[in-house]
Amino acid sequence: MLVGCNMADYALGIDIGGTFTDIVVYDAVHGTSSAHKELTTPDAPHRGVIAGIHKLFEAQGIACKDVSRVVHATTLFTNALIERKGAPTGLITTAGFRDTLELRREHKYELYNLFMELPQPLVRRSLRLEAPERIRPDGRIEQPLDVEALLTQVARLKSAGIGTMAIAFLHAYANPTHEIQARAAIHERYPELFVSLSSEVAPQIREYERTSTTVANAYIKPLADSYLDLMRSEIAGLGIKAPLFMMLSNGGLTHIDEAKRVPIQLLESGPAAGALAGSTFGLRSKARDVLAFDMGGTTAKLAIVEDGAPLIAYQFEAGRQQRFMEGSGLPINISTIELIEIGAGGGSIATIDALGLLKVGPESAGAAPGPACYQRGGVAPTVTDANLVLGYLDAATFAGGTVKIDRELARAAIAPLAKMSKLSIEEAAWGIHSVVNENMAAAARVHVAERGHHAGNFALLATGGGGPLHGCEVARRLGITRVICPPSAGVASALGLLMAPARIDRVATVAQRMGEMNWREFEKAFVKLEREAGAVIAKTVSKRTRVTIARSADMRFVGQGFELVVALPPGPYTERSAAALRAAFTKVYGKTFGHVPPVGEIEIINIRVAASAQVAKGELKVASGKRGESGALKGKRRAWVGARGRFELLPVYDRYRLAIGVAVRGPAIIEEDSTTLILPPKARATVERSGNIVVAL
Amino acid sequence: MKFNAVTLEMLWTRLISIVDEAAAALVRTSFSTIVRESNDFACVLTDARGRSLAQATDSIPSFIGTVPRTIKHFLKEFPIETLEPGDVLITNDIWLGTGHLPDITCAKPIFLKKKLVGFAGSVAHAPDIGGRMRSADAREVFEEGLQIPVMKVIRRGKLDETFERFVRKNVRVPDQVMGDLWAQFTALHLMENRVLSVLVEHKLNTLADLADEIHRRSEAAMRAAIREVPNGVYHHSAICDGFEKPIELKMTMTVKDEAIAIDFAGSAAQVPRSINVCLAYTIAYTSYGVKAVLSPNIPNNEGVLRPITITAPEGSIVNSTPPAAGGARALMGHFLPMMVITALAKAMPQKVVATIGSPLWCINLSGVRKNANNESKSFTNLFFMNGGFGAAHDRDGANVLSWPSNISSTPVEMIEQLSPLHVKHRRLRTDTGGRGQFRGGTGQEILFENRSELPLTVAFLAERTRDETAPSGIAGGEAGMPGAVLINGERANPKVQHVIEPGSTIELKTPGGGGYGSPSLRDVTAAETDRQDGYVSGVQHG
Repeated sequence: MLVGCNMADYALGIDIGGTFTDIVVYDAVHGTSSAHKELTTPDAPHRGVIAGIHKLFEAQGIACKDVSRVVHATTLFTNALIERKGAPTGLITTAGFRDTLELRREHKYELYNLFMELPQPLVRRSLRLEAPERIRPDGRIEQPLDVEALLTQVARLKSAGIGTMAIAFLHAYANPTHEIQARAAIHERYPELFVSLSSEVAPQIREYERTSTTVANAYIKPLADSYLDLMRSEIAGLGIKAPLFMMLSNGGLTHIDEAKRVPIQLLESGPAAGALAGSTFGLRSKARDVLAFDMGGTTAKLAIVEDGAPLIAYQFEAGRQQRFMEGSGLPINISTIELIEIGAGGGSIATIDALGLLKVGPESAGAAPGPACYQRGGVAPTVTDANLVLGYLDAATFAGGTVKIDRELARAAIAPLAKMSKLSIEEAAWGIHSVVNENMAAAARVHVAERGHHAGNFALLATGGGGPLHGCEVARRLGITRVICPPSAGVASALGLLMAPARIDRVATVAQRMGEMNWREFEKAFVKLEREAGAVIAKTVSKRTRVTIARSADMRFVGQGFELVVALPPGPYTERSAAALRAAFTKVYGKTFGHVPPVGEIEIINIRVAASAQVAKGELKVASGKRGESGALKGKRRAWVGARGRFELLPVYDRYRLAIGVAVRGPAIIEEDSTTLILPPKARATVERSGNIVVAL
Repeated sequence: MKFNAVTLEMLWTRLISIVDEAAAALVRTSFSTIVRESNDFACVLTDARGRSLAQATDSIPSFIGTVPRTIKHFLKEFPIETLEPGDVLITNDIWLGTGHLPDITCAKPIFLKKKLVGFAGSVAHAPDIGGRMRSADAREVFEEGLQIPVMKVIRRGKLDETFERFVRKNVRVPDQVMGDLWAQFTALHLMENRVLSVLVEHKLNTLADLADEIHRRSEAAMRAAIREVPNGVYHHSAICDGFEKPIELKMTMTVKDEAIAIDFAGSAAQVPRSINVCLAYTIAYTSYGVKAVLSPNIPNNEGVLRPITITAPEGSIVNSTPPAAGGARALMGHFLPMMVITALAKAMPQKVVATIGSPLWCINLSGVRKNANNESKSFTNLFFMNGGFGAAHDRDGANVLSWPSNISSTPVEMIEQLSPLHVKHRRLRTDTGGRGQFRGGTGQEILFENRSELPLTVAFLAERTRDETAPSGIAGGEAGMPGAVLINGERANPKVQHVIEPGSTIELKTPGGGGYGSPSLRDVTAAETDRQDGYVSGVQHG
């Protein structure tokens, strides 16, 4: 590649997870990347980051001044919500409605459990106060805001030590005037108070969900504010001139000021980076429709990549009482990469339930005591124990030799379970392996089907320590015939940061029937959102960068209560656009639900705009081995071949030695430091120039 | 086919994920707030004999019990040889179905290689079924709306047009009612497709072996759970509001080794009002109570029910006979699981909760509204709300929770978008949770104003509005506060229809849950927190 003289140009990615902080650098001149893992320093997360950057830059001889881009993702805010470590928060609602946050929607997430734990509201009742005001559903003002009464309530919150508060008035999605007035009055008297408005954080109908989102935003806002400022100055202190960008939950980047404005958008930034990495590595093997499957120690995460981009959802739950149980958490209405998390990981515990059925997960042995084979006192049989008994893991090389595992302990842990279910230890181990695979496949099947797709049309991209171990079996259960294993799966998520486009989403509720629509107002509403989103993007990317604006809308038949998010043709819209908008809706409806009912008019509830711009540049080159199939052969190992129901002596290959273009036939095992790829009979794995291993099943 | 711990687990998980997917599709395509905001529906998969195999995780307990029964009734009227691929059967018969007319049950036979292998079934609460409003004062089922006999609504893929014309003519909101039926058909179709692909994939010709195995194991687990209950005869009676005077329900529960027999002899006779419960509903909710205490984690199917015998005298209010009306049968039926729980309180104090502020409450309104083209159109709305939960040996009751049903409330913003009601407040009711070492959950109060230019017809479901029907405490805990319905600030009879003039108000106050343990044992900090947060006014504190 011919570039300037001796110019250097680096992009820096920082991904703070619960355990590790990943630092990754992309060399835009040579197209290479390097990475470093540092232990996360939870009390002062920036320390781990700075230490990690120092170590990596020193090792690679990188100068801070040559960094042209910094992108950051963190689980800090999710953890603050889960651990309830946000700031004491106040809430002011329309008079008569302070209990919205606690009344929730009144339903149970477990039907038969008399002892169900409900999520505690983030704001206790004595800190939920009310102000006289009322907006009508159509946005007209019924009762003006009583500013004096409001300020009296704010004074009460202040004296209770509150530094951050949410304001959530009824129908504020239809008219934000009172919320804006309230904030202005509060800031005039208390400029230091953080104020979050429901009309800015989540301007959508349904007061509980909107209030819940706004309160969560208020709850993490002081933390986000000080953390982001600190991180910005620490990075600048290193001599890095480039601005700091944050990864949003929707997989887009934005600048610090936008991140500080509505920090709840950062909630899922870590997992979003992982899904983006999935789409990027999929595209490198020309797979545009990908099921990104990341299996770790405790959970597996699934994301759908459709036509090269991860699917976006517009609501999710944070801080669930029961981690994997829908309805047990706090609803958060933000745009976020759609991820499903299931309790299926290496540490997932196998049990026989009251019906004599083999259950795996969601309980996990975690890192301590860990699977029985870790020799740390764990006695419950786990997925990792099963994989060891089946010969899929090598005790000598497991986790690069950093964890000592013992096969006899694994067998001993599985033995009681095998006895109870009248199976041999090997059959029980295969049972555990199969059940956890079916759990993951079942979740994926429903997830994919709900969006009107067939899993079989997707490629499965397997990452995480458990992804390649289970990937081919999960794929087979889903009817998927292509499995992709990207290189350096361990830091793939941090690499994803560097591939991310800048992206800003905006939403507004319009709630109009198409037959009665004022098209001029409708178009104006879109333009307003586009201007807002465009302005934020403009601060993130250079002037020359092309900004793409995509319109979509939440649409339904009149009378329905759930909307489909429909991608719309570009504007501007006039009366003549009606047919195209209708067609876009019925097409998605038919695809999602199988048929379109012969009833009803269509209404548009919310409109959405996504502005995005590509900021990543350059091609990523990946180091590869030089050896053929026989040269990469490390040895042979007895491993269970499920399709044949027996142990066989399988060849074991070293992934780092395999040269581009080499093909390996299953049944076989391909090992690398952080994971092992199990190839079933008839599978054919090829090392691609992209660095991916692609398995044809 | 023989199943082991692994193969059965995988297959069953698969079937449950199918019904869950169908349930999600039903919710997302339905037209009524009842289904989508309130989850008032179920999806169930059965074998060819109508024996249940899997039900959607979120389904309502009563429906899980009734759908397989209804399918067995379908089979009586339409024996296997009369069924064809693409058929869908339907009924809302209250004795064959769920006990009241708005619940429409549909089932689609699933054929594999021309052989019937099972049924995809669903039931959903229709937005309207014609007749009088859903209130407690209908005297016969004929007043309650359109009765759909067991029939083929879809024959080999083709909708019966006469059926559709009849339905449309008889209901207030025909598009919504038909739209929800289509949502049910969509769900059935989806279940059929998915089940067939599972059968093919696993090389199964039948679901019967699977049903046998599931039921055998469920029954064994339930019997093991019953063994934990001390043998004996447990009595309990409950007082319901009734009309002019309260109505008493009596229960005798006999626990012997691995079996439970529950009988409702001595309960009041059926009444010429719409609160009568058909036996299917009685069985569903009584067994729900048994399961909630003894085996909350065993999936619900008829294997679980085998060790439990539930009987009630014919013609009693919990085993009604035609032409008894049943529109408001939840008002009685929701007492049944609570009776089971309370009866077991002495024997298993750590597994029970004090009386819950159930049954569910609802407000049902209908009227006429002008649309954009100034045409008068009928409309109807149905909004639900719930009372406080009962306290347990180690915790306070939740402030407001749906039980035993699982019906969500409708957001205030939706109520105001959908109806001419203006909501003045919706808040927790101070001092309504029963005092105790652990406090009962508070009820809630909602104040509506009629903003229409025309009067509205309004009916309610409301219970525990008398002092003697307040949710009782256990182990020394006190009762929760009973509920009340107020019209223009005056106590109103919640069991009859009312006409609400423009500008008039309606206030619904749901009951609080019962407390657990003596109030003198309440933790001082917990009491102080209650006072600070206004759950308790703290006017008198000992």
